[in-house]
Amino acid sequence: MDVELTEILDALCQYAPFNEIADEAPLADMTKEIEIQYVRAGEWVISPDAFNNTLFFIRSGAIEVLNKDNILIRRMNEGELFGYASILRGGKSSQTMRTIEDSLLYRIPARWFIKLYEENDTFSDFFELAREVRLRLAMDSQSSDVSLMTCPVTSLLRRQPISTQADSNLLTAAQIMTEHRVSSLLITNQQELIGIVTDRDLRTRALSKGLPFDTPIADIMTANPIVLDSHDYASEAVLKMMASNVHHLPIIKDGKPIGVISAGDIVQRESHGSVYLISDIFKQSNIAGLQNISRKMTHTFTQLVNADANTQMIGNAMSHIGIAFVKRLLQLAEEKFGKPPVPYCFVALGSQAREEQTIKTDQDNALILSDKYDPKAHGEYFATLSNWVCQNLDKCGYDLCSGDIMASNPRWRQPLSVWQDYFSQWIREPKAEALLRLSIFFDLRGIYGDKSLALQLNRHIRKEAKEHTGFLTFMARNANQRKPPLGFFRQFVLDGEGKQSRTFNLKERGIAPIIDIVRVHALAMGSDKLNTFERLEDIEDAGLLPDGRAKDLTLALEMIGMVRIRHQKEQIDSGESPNNHVNPANLSSFEKRHLRDAFDIVARQQEFIKFRYAGKRS
Amino acid sequence: MAMHISNQHSEPLDWPNLFKKWAKEAPEGALKRYYQAGMIAANTPLKDVPLLALDLETTGLDPNNDEIISLGLIPMKHNAIRCQGAGYWMAKPKKALHAESVTIHEITHSELTDAPQLDHILDDILDVMSKQVLVVHCVAIERQFLLEASLKHYGYPLYFPVLDTMDIERQAQHKPWWRQFGKAPSLRLDACRQRYHLPRYKAHHALTDAISSAELLQAQIAHHMDLAAPISRYWL
Repeated sequence: MDVELTEILDALCQYAPFNEIADEAPLADMTKEIEIQYVRAGEWVISPDAFNNTLFFIRSGAIEVLNKDNILIRRMNEGELFGYASILRGGKSSQTMRTIEDSLLYRIPARWFIKLYEENDTFSDFFELAREVRLRLAMDSQSSDVSLMTCPVTSLLRRQPISTQADSNLLTAAQIMTEHRVSSLLITNQQELIGIVTDRDLRTRALSKGLPFDTPIADIMTANPIVLDSHDYASEAVLKMMASNVHHLPIIKDGKPIGVISAGDIVQRESHGSVYLISDIFKQSNIAGLQNISRKMTHTFTQLVNADANTQMIGNAMSHIGIAFVKRLLQLAEEKFGKPPVPYCFVALGSQAREEQTIKTDQDNALILSDKYDPKAHGEYFATLSNWVCQNLDKCGYDLCSGDIMASNPRWRQPLSVWQDYFSQWIREPKAEALLRLSIFFDLRGIYGDKSLALQLNRHIRKEAKEHTGFLTFMARNANQRKPPLGFFRQFVLDGEGKQSRTFNLKERGIAPIIDIVRVHALAMGSDKLNTFERLEDIEDAGLLPDGRAKDLTLALEMIGMVRIRHQKEQIDSGESPNNHVNPANLSSFEKRHLRDAFDIVARQQEFIKFRYAGKRS
Repeated sequence: MAMHISNQHSEPLDWPNLFKKWAKEAPEGALKRYYQAGMIAANTPLKDVPLLALDLETTGLDPNNDEIISLGLIPMKHNAIRCQGAGYWMAKPKKALHAESVTIHEITHSELTDAPQLDHILDDILDVMSKQVLVVHCVAIERQFLLEASLKHYGYPLYFPVLDTMDIERQAQHKPWWRQFGKAPSLRLDACRQRYHLPRYKAHHALTDAISSAELLQAQIAHHMDLAAPISRYWL
């Protein structure tokens, strides 16, 4: 039967974005799937770490939004929508929503939100804000334990639960546990969990007390054990285990146990995580050990992607892993070749300096030496050290730089004063050709040794760059060399011909141009940030761009970066080696639409810097 | 929370058994099927009860002479009203509409000329009502009109268990005589809704009014009723 729910449709259509949607037919269909819910003041609508796949419309009442630390973010009233941020994040909500007045809510299924978002420009424009919110949330939650925070506890389950009835005795219980090689056994009564017995219980409550084999297992079990819901996150498991000092948690779904996770499962899971990987790196005393770890890198990368980490988190994690390899190698080198005769600083360049590394990168690095450096006396030491480090980085998966921008190249192993002269020369007399190649040096981060050397050099670069507008003109022109792949009618322009190469390069045509644009602005304003997202924040704060443009670039970079990361993850999953070439045919309509928007932003901002740093041709 | 709300019968009605009895007596057809489907057990907790909010518009207030001209219903549970199951019917009355009833529900004769007679839709409505506890605002009206319609059409009465939002509200608002001042609170649907901060709706459309009662019941449950209590404590 076709029933018009006029009252509900009318209520929705009083408010944006529904009031701007010209065609009411899909809205009328959507209305038929709404559920109405009354919630009393003070109750959770989306509780902490809850899974949410509902778009909520506040028909009446008021809701407050709290962040993870229970800080009030904002208050929403009649006509406002919430829940979309978590839908866009695949169901994970990092904010919580609580009623502050008795409220009447319309619950709209996520699929309607996604459908309208993909098919209706008015609707999705309204929620552009949502992406911004999502990005900010993701950045807020940036933390080293991202994998545990965002991985559902069910992903740790590796087998069906092993259980027995309450009337079995000690002997059979121990036999079942031995047979299945488990350290805990669930005690059930018609599938319902009534208790748990662990190895330790058998030891302390049965064996040490000399209980007979035919004692019912119910006598020694822990009745009504602490459990976890299948919707919870692994982080919740850690908290519960710590708070209650237990090592096994049954997971309950629809009232029935579906498995058990142990403290060991969590440690094992985290041992692949970036944090443990880094601490492992520092435990290695030889190259073979480091090489071993480097083989786990793709696993760490795909885990971060699976855990829904954003590009900034992943860039950060991958860079810090890379930096850990460099540091450990330098520590080992100093043990091998002796303490350095004069202070030096090993610097990362390019993506590692910006903390934006992805899975597959060449090494780009250099060495700044103290001005006390005497080539005759000290030259051999630093040559040996640099060669050894660069060669071994190569063995650990960081390929040698094809352009030879490495500390092993004597040209890039110089005292501070020489470096300062290099940069002064590049900045005062820029040659576009050379700068394109050398722009990599303008993202420079000291990662080991005397970091004040790198700080001094960066200060020098900022001062010189700001004072020489001609240099900025050159940099701006450089930033315009790589164009986004957008043709007439907003079609993607492909890089290759023929079936095999109907792709475009996301890095060359999207990510690199944004990084270049942002670097020009950052140098122009003398920002000391290296990370592109952080630079964009400085640029926004300084009001260097018209309102909202810095945010546009942030979103564009996140969008393109996310597509690249997912693409690389899929390549890894299917056994290919990851690259930056994406075939538009393999993109979802959602990705296509937003990629086009992102590339539009890049193209517009390239136009903008042309005029912003026009300068005279000289 | 005020937990004194109940059906106020010393013996709650045993609906499942009554249904069994009527299933034997009712004539073959939709009404017999309705009784044969049975009714949920009296000890079913309120939170698990399938509910169906229902509202009628009629040509007047006299069940013996006036007729049902539209009927709206919507399924719900204590925490969700499901638009997906919403139903709305119009029925052509046998007698002409009076002018004053037209001004109330704004359904005109011309709208009803194409509608089927109630007889033709009663079977469908009984199918939807099957095994549901009805939710209405003021049970006397809905029960009497549906009973009359059933007697006329099937020659046998239609009875069904009901949660009456008006009765619930009367109990929730009840104060002992020594604490009553001024007027008794209004029990009109709109007035009840305002006490729970529910939005104002345009009244007198059967489906909208059914949704209104459904929302009111959700609010009443949240404020005054016990989700774990057996339905027999509340049903009339």
